[in-house]
Amino acid sequence: MIVPSIFRERWPVLLLGLAAYVSTFLFLHLEQEWEIALLLGIVPLVLYIAKKSGMSAKCRQAVGVAPVFTKVVFLLSALALIVTLRHEHFALLLLATVLLYATISLGLTIQFGYAGLVNFAAIAFFGIGAYTMAVLNQSQNGLPDLMIIVIGGVVAALIGSLLILPVLRTKGHYAALITIAFGLLFRSFLEVNDILGGPQGLKVSGLNILGWDFAQSFPAILGGGSFYVSYTLLALVLLIGVFSMTRLIESSWLGLNMDSVRLDETASASFGINVARWKIMAFTVGNFFAGMSGALYASMSGFVAPASFNLSDSLLLVSIVLLGGMGNAVSVIPAAFLVVVLPEKFQVIQEYRLLLFAVIVILILRFKPSGLMPRPLRRLINTSSK
Amino acid sequence: MDIGFLGQYLINGLVQGVTYSLVAVGFTLFFGVLDVIKFSHGDVLMLGAFTGLTIYLGLDPLSLPPSITLCIILIASILSMGFVGALLCKFLVLPLKSAPPLNTLLITLMFGTVIRESVRLFFPNGSNPKPFPELLPTNAINLGNLNLRVDSVLIILFAVVAIVLTHFIINKTRTGLAIRAVAQDEETARLMGIDFKKTVLITFALGSGLAALSGVSTGLYYQEINFGMGLMLGVIGFSAAVLGGLGSVYGAIVGGLIFAALQTIGAIWFSVPAYKDVFAFAVVIMLMAWRPTGLLADRTSERV
Amino acid sequence: MSIMKRSFAAFVGLLSLLTIAACSDTSNTVKIAFIGPLTGGTSAGGLGGRNSAELAIRMRNAQASTTHQYELVALDDECKPNVGVQVATKAAADNTVIGGVTHYCSAVAMGTVDIYHKFGLPVVVWGAVLPDITYGNDYPEIHRVNGTMINQNEVAASFMVSKGFSTWAVIHDTTDYGKGHNTYFSKSLIENGGSILGTFGVNADQQDFTAELTKIKALNPDVIYFGGLVPTGVRIRAQMSKLGMTQVFQGTSGIVSDAFIEGTGDLAEGVVAFREGAPTEKLPGGKMFLENYQAANFNEPPEAYGAFSFAATNLIIDAIEKVGPDRLAVMQELNNTRDHDSIVGAVTFDEHGQNTIALITKYVIQDGAWTVWEDSDYASGQRVLD
Repeated sequence: MIVPSIFRERWPVLLLGLAAYVSTFLFLHLEQEWEIALLLGIVPLVLYIAKKSGMSAKCRQAVGVAPVFTKVVFLLSALALIVTLRHEHFALLLLATVLLYATISLGLTIQFGYAGLVNFAAIAFFGIGAYTMAVLNQSQNGLPDLMIIVIGGVVAALIGSLLILPVLRTKGHYAALITIAFGLLFRSFLEVNDILGGPQGLKVSGLNILGWDFAQSFPAILGGGSFYVSYTLLALVLLIGVFSMTRLIESSWLGLNMDSVRLDETASASFGINVARWKIMAFTVGNFFAGMSGALYASMSGFVAPASFNLSDSLLLVSIVLLGGMGNAVSVIPAAFLVVVLPEKFQVIQEYRLLLFAVIVILILRFKPSGLMPRPLRRLINTSSK
Repeated sequence: MDIGFLGQYLINGLVQGVTYSLVAVGFTLFFGVLDVIKFSHGDVLMLGAFTGLTIYLGLDPLSLPPSITLCIILIASILSMGFVGALLCKFLVLPLKSAPPLNTLLITLMFGTVIRESVRLFFPNGSNPKPFPELLPTNAINLGNLNLRVDSVLIILFAVVAIVLTHFIINKTRTGLAIRAVAQDEETARLMGIDFKKTVLITFALGSGLAALSGVSTGLYYQEINFGMGLMLGVIGFSAAVLGGLGSVYGAIVGGLIFAALQTIGAIWFSVPAYKDVFAFAVVIMLMAWRPTGLLADRTSERV
Repeated sequence: MSIMKRSFAAFVGLLSLLTIAACSDTSNTVKIAFIGPLTGGTSAGGLGGRNSAELAIRMRNAQASTTHQYELVALDDECKPNVGVQVATKAAADNTVIGGVTHYCSAVAMGTVDIYHKFGLPVVVWGAVLPDITYGNDYPEIHRVNGTMINQNEVAASFMVSKGFSTWAVIHDTTDYGKGHNTYFSKSLIENGGSILGTFGVNADQQDFTAELTKIKALNPDVIYFGGLVPTGVRIRAQMSKLGMTQVFQGTSGIVSDAFIEGTGDLAEGVVAFREGAPTEKLPGGKMFLENYQAANFNEPPEAYGAFSFAATNLIIDAIEKVGPDRLAVMQELNNTRDHDSIVGAVTFDEHGQNTIALITKYVIQDGAWTVWEDSDYASGQRVLD
């Protein structure tokens, strides 16, 4: 068989892309109890077989050899997924939610995966972005919607800067308390106060970017489909942008500095690293990401209310980062998928779903304490190219 | 302000404060020996209260005098929660010792969810609040506008006794010595022949027993328990422990009292009392910025 | 064949099995969605509603005269708007779902009405009481069998004033439910000549109310009005006795539940509350409902709004029986509902889809049971509210 040389080493990547496509499609599509149970049984089995047969190692190697090719393959499988599901409103809504949650989780990855700053108020910053969109999109101020998304991120980062002083001065669990307190305070304040709609919340109008009305069905010229296609695509673009920035930070001296701050503040300081600067930067960038995804989420769901931003949601976001593998930017995508889609799939068992979800998370944490995809060691010397 | 009302606020705040302190002492103990946060603490408290209620319902046909019933409830609930705490530690906390501390936080949090959801689903009609029996005398002394009930005083006494006992165990017994040794330096403690695992398990049992006590006394005081009662109590207890300074028992007590005081002041001060939590948490953030390692923790600089 | 190839073959085999399963999901039954909180703090009401809707479906399926078989798709909105939007999209985007019995929590209903409108799914709200859900829009898809908090509070205010009370302290939780009740009750009370000495917004998940109650004790009102749900109401009633307060405790429809009596024990005596609709046990259909509910052995009681959920489900089924399983036709049929017999009394929808319930039932707790005021010892003068 003649295979173009470029594919000879790279076919495991194609296989991975295909597996990602098929498994996400099935997860989004299946509804019956037995189907979900079967799928939950098969996935670990497949992963186990892949590991035993050396398939995982092959894939990892292939990915390492061809990073750009891998990205293209995964992007294509994501697009293929959107195309396949283009008429299924609900699956697209879930998919877009996964993408947005992954975006916030990337912010958290920078905050505590890289710089070691805990943040238990991620949903509050997400909420600030959402409320920014609700307020700015309502008033006819002529701001382009794309810009409002960015403004949502900026506002979140600005309000977050109120916390910089206490967060810089404290460490570990002490810093955790500050963010927990802020998250509770944020929700309480919105609910008691009637300025921003109070507990009733606010309606948010749909996006309109350069005349492209997101509330309408996807343009027939481009194949047609649910109006959620537009949102999903935009969420995908946002995730790709944020992902690239995160990788850029990680692979540059910025990330090196943050790593060093996380691992040993005192040593870093004595080597002349400005600890405060890197912490502030990580905190601000992370909140910026959360705010942007909040703004997009608000216009997609059409409604914001304080009851959507609980401490438990912040903890859910933290669990995405931990389940994925702290500090590994790629891992937040499957982890976000798990955390968003799994409870939804458990709707079939109705009131028992939260219980089952908690048990599954406990099992994963217990038997894979470093997450599903632990962060690989930083390679300071590129060994793949000769 | 009328002196009677002032006294009333003081008593109310004090009952709340000692409840928070009891919860906070648990957090501080766990942190002391293992540097972990056990976020299921509030839910263990709730389970303790429900255990107490179940035992009460079981004892009801015997029609024992209330004081004996109460003793049985307290002992059984404290022992069973101590056991739950040790189990949790053995199977979920210790195995994760080498993983990042956030993992322990998350796994205990999820364990708390399991407890909470299980009580809601499997306790008969568990999604509704349950009345807790009135086992303490409810005689009241009326001093002007102050309505001082015997049960409020007894509950404060319970908590004080429990805290003094804990203090005694930690400072005056061999077990306590082991706990302090492990808290100070695990490696050295091991070298000195201290059974590390046993000490940690005992600490978890002790802290969870305290949670059971505060669960039952919360039930006795408010005469109502529900499956969600541990959520806010857990968060507030954690805040109190951190505010006081993790690892310090006195800090936990002070933190609990301060938090209750802040809430009471907030409720009196604002025309919309719901702002009291906004107020309390905002002050906590400011206090933390001022004293980054808590109000009472030792402020030694970090070892290099 | 190598182990890898074999496992790969097995993998492909299983996947294709699942894919076939995913595509061959066809059933002939007519689906009706139920949405309410099945997990979390307000799940008691949600589970009671779910069971009642389930009962309506079971009873109808057992009748020989039905032309269709029905299936209830129960979805959990956790009383959170973001989850509500998700499950509402799921139900609305599923073409096999013909109607929806939706929402217990007002904030969730506010967030989802746009979605039902967008997808053209006719729904009947069974529990949420905020007026804006029906009156805040012109959507023909939205109906509601239970009354709004406006009717309830008009009757409550004039009745209590007529009993000789003149001063009130209002405690309400800061959710949309409590805040709304506060607004409408305060308005009606002033119109009726009563006066409010103080209004206290409290958090719904708060445990301790002694500080607020001490403040109220200093004001010394005749009546304490409480706008909120059972758990908070139980705590406040119990803590009143802690402070030696003997004021009349007046509640809203949110506490008309046996759980309130169970939770407060002896302290429940003399508590008054108001709920829209005729008392369930007084209607011939209501008695039948309660008996059948008993016989069905559900784990949870029907709670205050179970009867409304049962009535809403039956309204949708009746419409489907008449015009067939077609969303548009069902919607039109529902809009034309006039004097439709139901277990909560005759249902008539106005142009906003709101059931115009004129009847508000006044309840008082007597000897550990919710008793209709007119039948109570209090009305006959044998006992007095004090």
